[in-house]
Amino acid sequence: MKKLFVVFLLVFAVSCTKTYTRPSEEEVKPAEEIKEEVMKVEEEAAEDIAYSRDEDIGERDLSPAEVEEMAKTVFSDIHFDYDKYNIRPDARPMLDQVASFMGENGDYNVVIEGHCDERGTNEYNLALGERRAKSTKNYLISLGISSSRISTVTFGEEKPLCIDTSETCWQSNRRAHFVVTGRR
Amino acid sequence: MKKQGSEGRGQGSGVRQYIATSAYSIACVLGMLLSFSLITTADARIYIDISSPGARQLPVTIITTGPTKSKEIEWIVKSDLEATGIFEMVDPDVPGAEIIAVLDVDMSGGLKVVLSIKDMIENREVLKKRFDASKIIIRPMAHSIANDIYKVVTGRDGVFRTKISYLKELASGKKELRYMDWDGYNSKRIISRGLTTSHNWSQDGNYLFYSSERKRQWKIYYLDLDNFRESLLFSSNGLNIVGGTSPDGLIAFSSSKDGSSEIYTVNKYGKNLKKLTRAFGIDVSPVYSPDGKTIAFVSDRGGTPQIYIMTSQGKNLRRVTYEGSYNTSPAWSYDGESIAYTGRSDGKFQIFVVQSDGTDLRQLTVSGNNESPSFSPDGIFLVFDSDRDGKRGIYRMRSNGEAQIKITDNIVKAMTPEWSPYLKK
Repeated sequence: MKKLFVVFLLVFAVSCTKTYTRPSEEEVKPAEEIKEEVMKVEEEAAEDIAYSRDEDIGERDLSPAEVEEMAKTVFSDIHFDYDKYNIRPDARPMLDQVASFMGENGDYNVVIEGHCDERGTNEYNLALGERRAKSTKNYLISLGISSSRISTVTFGEEKPLCIDTSETCWQSNRRAHFVVTGRR
Repeated sequence: MKKQGSEGRGQGSGVRQYIATSAYSIACVLGMLLSFSLITTADARIYIDISSPGARQLPVTIITTGPTKSKEIEWIVKSDLEATGIFEMVDPDVPGAEIIAVLDVDMSGGLKVVLSIKDMIENREVLKKRFDASKIIIRPMAHSIANDIYKVVTGRDGVFRTKISYLKELASGKKELRYMDWDGYNSKRIISRGLTTSHNWSQDGNYLFYSSERKRQWKIYYLDLDNFRESLLFSSNGLNIVGGTSPDGLIAFSSSKDGSSEIYTVNKYGKNLKKLTRAFGIDVSPVYSPDGKTIAFVSDRGGTPQIYIMTSQGKNLRRVTYEGSYNTSPAWSYDGESIAYTGRSDGKFQIFVVQSDGTDLRQLTVSGNNESPSFSPDGIFLVFDSDRDGKRGIYRMRSNGEAQIKITDNIVKAMTPEWSPYLKK
């Protein structure tokens, strides 16, 4: 009985896909010799990628002399609470220092990198890292630095300083990092 | 990944036209992929209805004749079929098989296999098919054969020749975009330039979209899988992260071009930009439902990151998840009824599935941290990443949580898998 039902379903299915007239029982029966099908199987080859070109972003790397000069001025990272992007009071002295450097050295710009710890989704962390960089930028603007001299980039959880699974490590990764660039 | 007519081309700029031409010649020179003949359905009978719960296992025997190496094909075919949970492999000397698949393998000059599938109950041959390859390519051959056996038994297309894209973390901490076969083998590097994160397939399987950071800018690029040529899809100030793609070729993404991270869509030429959300806070990870009518995404507008859905026009916003304070990376099931996502529970990240109306919440993983679920195109499997054995790698399970196995090598650190659609070969 069950088999009959299956056959009926099959007849129905075939009639839907192949033709709109209901086939007779005869047509559903397979031929004695079924037709052999042929399929060519090939493996896809991974090739060298033709990468798209990146346009210039209007920044220049520092000259060797400038790099030497800059080595005297190392800005520490500032840190953030878990899943937060507000500037903590303990970050203010460093931000004051960055602002006074920029005030005195008009030839330099700064890039603020926002980073997160490894926990959570990459995409959400990228957005969070961007907010950290932007709130840092806004703070520097409030100290009188022109917004055109500050750019931001997020690296989310992609560039950890530390890879242990501990709060100390996570805290060091939740940071804004300052990179000094030349002004064009 | 074979070029299908002029889909996705022809309407573009002069540059695109040029690319299409060279793509065609490259594809011709390399003779990539397959010509196909459709399986005749005239004598089809469904042996197992996989949509009915608790379907029985079908006893199947596979017999291989040919050189010693042809056993490898048999092993791969068996392992593909067994992974589905609906086959019971029966040794040739044990009676009871309802289906016998005979693989007649010839490796003299290329690789030729004649597959014959016999229905032992009705004592008749139900499929006879010859597979030709110019080289000894065991794996693609075996997966193609497994697809045909699966199709005969279930009436559905198997996923054994689909791909999974993912990120591999190198010793330097840098991640490169790769793809591999559905079983974790045959991994190939795709993109290694810059810092690459999110990635996703076009629904026709012809393109891979991804976000890369190069020169401190996050842009969305796509790779034409016919010619491995990269193009820029979208760039702006701020952060641009690609999400999912729609059946009619739109790409959803998040961008902070106007300040806060919002959800946008563009067409495949990067044009016709539409802004779908306007909320203070972070909106990321948009993915289209299979019918393209609904978008699921992550927003922290309610204070914590949660899954929301809205129409593909940005209307009728509804929150889907309420359990827990961190729910991200949504993925639609193939029927559009449920959403898999990553949620934090007891300090660990786990894979959950919930109906899109927020009901019937189920947790699919328990051990370690498990993230980034992605469904197979037939909805039968999920891939995700997990650190349950210490090193993060790609795992596969059935979509009800059964049969969780690691498919990437133990020495590889791998994450964020995205399952391809069916690929045209």
